[in-house]
Amino acid sequence: MAALPTSRLPLSLPGFEHVKRAWNEAYGAYSARLNPGEYYVTKNDEAIYTTLGSCISACIRDRVSGIGGMNHFMLPATVDEGGWKAAGLGSATRYGNFAMEHLINEIMKNGGIRKNLEVKLFGGGRIIANMTDVGMRNIEFARDYIATEGLRVTSEDMGDVFPRMVVYFPVSGKVRVKRLRSLHNNTIVEQETQYLHTIEKKPVSGDIELF
Amino acid sequence: MKSEIAELVKGVGGLVTLPDVFIRINQLVEDPNSSATDIAKVVGQDPSFTVRLLRVANSSFYGFSSTIDTVSKAVTVIGTSQIRSLALATSVASSFDGLPNTLVSMEHFWRHSLYCALVARNLAKRARRCDPDAVFTAALLHDIGELVIFNRMPQQAKDALLLVLDSADELPVYQAEQQIMGFDHAEVGGELARQWKLPPMLEECVEFHHDVRDGLRFQREVALVHIANILALMAEIHSLDPSDVSPIDPRAWAIVGLNADDVIEETVSEVQEEIAEAEKLFLGK
Repeated sequence: MAALPTSRLPLSLPGFEHVKRAWNEAYGAYSARLNPGEYYVTKNDEAIYTTLGSCISACIRDRVSGIGGMNHFMLPATVDEGGWKAAGLGSATRYGNFAMEHLINEIMKNGGIRKNLEVKLFGGGRIIANMTDVGMRNIEFARDYIATEGLRVTSEDMGDVFPRMVVYFPVSGKVRVKRLRSLHNNTIVEQETQYLHTIEKKPVSGDIELF
Repeated sequence: MKSEIAELVKGVGGLVTLPDVFIRINQLVEDPNSSATDIAKVVGQDPSFTVRLLRVANSSFYGFSSTIDTVSKAVTVIGTSQIRSLALATSVASSFDGLPNTLVSMEHFWRHSLYCALVARNLAKRARRCDPDAVFTAALLHDIGELVIFNRMPQQAKDALLLVLDSADELPVYQAEQQIMGFDHAEVGGELARQWKLPPMLEECVEFHHDVRDGLRFQREVALVHIANILALMAEIHSLDPSDVSPIDPRAWAIVGLNADDVIEETVSEVQEEIAEAEKLFLGK
């Protein structure tokens, strides 16, 4: 039997009403469940969680005010030899930039201050053997983005062969990363592949469309 | 519910078959009038099992000091009952080739099963109360019901896995299956073992590996496989943190007579050393 929540579902910030939230007994908190491509920002003492295969989640918060959030993204596999860097500001990196900028902008719009931001990075696992290491491409992008923006990474767990469950509490900054057993690999790959197809079908033609 | 499980398992009858060599050895082991010579004869009639048997007998898996170059020597040194365990263990993975699924790769599925088998064998040697080869085979089989569910009920099986992920991996898979289908892979596996007429010890280990209840005939073996299943997950995800895996029923430790703090770290690291060779021996790689 599920324990009764200790409080009512707190209001979400405008624009995040669609994100699925439910009481999580184990964490004693309401928890927002992110699917690939989604992000969520909150001022409430609640958790945000997601499962990651080769995708990346950045967990970012203002360490003074506690406002923060999480995204979940990957770069589409449209880049040929030479890596995504060779594509410069090509369409591949736009999806990463898009996910990172949305998260940071939303935190700042709600009172976060840039110099207080702390970043934690997760995911980028190589969960399918004998394939191009798409996880590594995503990791390289995330590191590069954070460095270019002059932000600070306070903790990370990326790469390796495991899918991950990441649970983030923006108010305290605490993160729980759990490696998942391989039984879940295919389910997670399928979710990420569906997401990949949606972004590949809608190529971004210019920055204007991003915002 | 019972009849639903029985129907489900009947539905895969023609797709999964036990190897003939195991069935014949099984009959001989159960027959008080048979001898080791009879068993060696049956083994010798199956060239592919003979090769697998001699490979295992001469591997570090057993670590015998002398070379075992004949079937009769293998039967004498290893033991007839253990030969029966090996006949099942070295062929069970290929027996399920006719039951494919899209939810888990066979490689990942059998690697977890093999980790579980190695842990169970390791713990049985420490506890000195069960036959290590018999629990090895029981543990190797523990999740066979999963392959039936994944093949016959793919949508519900997928829903159960999604439920686990939605719970932030707090809900164990078997409980998610109970919520979605009203039964779980352990019950299905137990039914398969019954229809196959596997030795009762194997049947109980498969059926109750998530439920170490009182009144079982082979409670020690069941408790060993229960513990081994969780330690196998630790070995797989390279973590010794109990909160990263499902909980172990504390009664299981008491039943097998081992202390968790004394054995977990050592056992997990030992099976991680063994897994690569065991995959070659038992999964034919």
